[in-house]
Amino acid sequence: MSGRPPHRGLQALAYVIATVVSLLFLYPYWWMLVSAFRPTRAIMSDPLRLWPERFDLSIFTEIGRVGGVELWVYVWNSLLITSLSTLLSVVITSLGAYALVRRPDLPGFRLLRYGFLVTIMYPYMLLVIPVYLVMFKLGLLGSYAGIILFLALGPIQFFLFEQFFRATPGEVIEAGIIDGANELQVLFRIVLPMAAPITATVALITFLLNWSQWFPILVISRSPDTYTLPVALLSMNSELGSNFQGIMALAVLTTLPVAVLFLLAQKRVMEGMASGAVKG
Amino acid sequence: MNAALDTIWRGRIFYLFVLPFAALTILFGVWPILLSIQVSFTASATALRPNPTYVGFANYFTVFADPIFLASLWRTLVYTALSVLANLAFALAFAVLLDSTLIKRGNLFFRLAIFLPVVTPDVAGYVVWRWLYDRSFGALNALLKMLGLPAFSGLSSADTAMLSLLIAELWHHAGFYMIIFLANLAIRDKALEEAAHIDGATTWQRWRYVILPQLRPALVINTVYALIQFLKTFTVVVVMTKGGPNDQTNFVTYYAYQLFDQGRYGEATAMATILFAIVITISMSAFLIGEKGAKR
Repeated sequence: MSGRPPHRGLQALAYVIATVVSLLFLYPYWWMLVSAFRPTRAIMSDPLRLWPERFDLSIFTEIGRVGGVELWVYVWNSLLITSLSTLLSVVITSLGAYALVRRPDLPGFRLLRYGFLVTIMYPYMLLVIPVYLVMFKLGLLGSYAGIILFLALGPIQFFLFEQFFRATPGEVIEAGIIDGANELQVLFRIVLPMAAPITATVALITFLLNWSQWFPILVISRSPDTYTLPVALLSMNSELGSNFQGIMALAVLTTLPVAVLFLLAQKRVMEGMASGAVKG
Repeated sequence: MNAALDTIWRGRIFYLFVLPFAALTILFGVWPILLSIQVSFTASATALRPNPTYVGFANYFTVFADPIFLASLWRTLVYTALSVLANLAFALAFAVLLDSTLIKRGNLFFRLAIFLPVVTPDVAGYVVWRWLYDRSFGALNALLKMLGLPAFSGLSSADTAMLSLLIAELWHHAGFYMIIFLANLAIRDKALEEAAHIDGATTWQRWRYVILPQLRPALVINTVYALIQFLKTFTVVVVMTKGGPNDQTNFVTYYAYQLFDQGRYGEATAMATILFAIVITISMSAFLIGEKGAKR
């Protein structure tokens, strides 16, 4: 297959198919972006226009308040909740996966791993409902802490770290222990420096995934004060007599940060997600 | 007993490392699941009280006698089967296309275009799709009209609503399955194909007997992931249809959520347990069938 030069006609056909499909996949983004700059009435009369009539950012001041809350509050909530839950997730999951991989023989460790695997099999949106009851019992309902703690647990983070620690050569750790290092020194001087690249990958993927979260945030929140951008977008979309241009502008605001982040780090994200899945 | 305690004591630092992870897993995983199962055995009206009334399997009987639930379960299974097939077929075809020698320049662009929706917040993606399908705002019908084709009723008709969700979900998920196929294609043994070619195998035979068997790992993983994914279909329904029109997109997760919203906790959690059992059974059998085939 690799040795023969490709047929020209076949190659042209392959490019036509790949281009058409790719453009179809990208079109919703373009339509969203263009619609964010066009008045609702203009979109109704000509939905296919590929370029806005004029470049007008006024919609972002017009939707300055959504559901009685300032738009910047949602932006701030998104940044705060996503960043902190990512940080927490990386710390907690790396330590947990490290301990479970290093000492699977310790009493309870196997059970914990199974408990975790069962948790991620449970239909997520139906887990969130009893989580509401748990949050209520813990007094965390309506708090940032409740949302951040819940978002700190995820399957792909665990699988990526588990896979990395399993592949870490035991001799390196043995050598450290022979040299007289205690477990904390082994962790901080030997294991964590080696784990820097995988930690960056996990952090990146967690940020992208948690930025998109909406249902747990909606359920744990008591008021729009702790909503993030996707939750605000959802409630705006459900409002009666919707402001179409406003919805598109909010969708742009929700999508753009993660789209840019992904494009900057695409190789790491795609490779990380593929290997995290393959291990799971 | 003493030996066990001794092991624990000597491994105490590892218990310390695992503690936060264990706490979160128990608080937000194991406990809610057990709580949900417990609630499914109580009368809804008393479910949240300190001393709920236990009713045995009554909620499960109610649920299995509920024609809306049975219809919703069937619909969920049909939707899942169609979605898994459509997503895997699309992802495999596109992965093979991008992996072939036909596409050299622009390969990364095509990968990014298909994968970008995976990291796009699903709410935002589905909100855009909802309006793309819209009769008066939507670009889709404007395009069909321009081409002189009949209009697509999209989300407003019971006949096309499920298909509309399937397309939007394929847009969101297929890129993920594609990169798994691509990763598998990249590590396959190309010398085998050369050998088959020299031995006079046709393109079809090469595919059927040389390449496809090597793609088994990706096929198994993608099938299990997609099954779990589509059995749990929820966000797209909330954003685009709210279960309608005429219940045509009222899947189990959404129906259970509606019941929960109405305070019918017992039935809602019974449905959750049923769906959980289905997810585990189906994905485990898919996994075992895949494994068994690999050993043959």
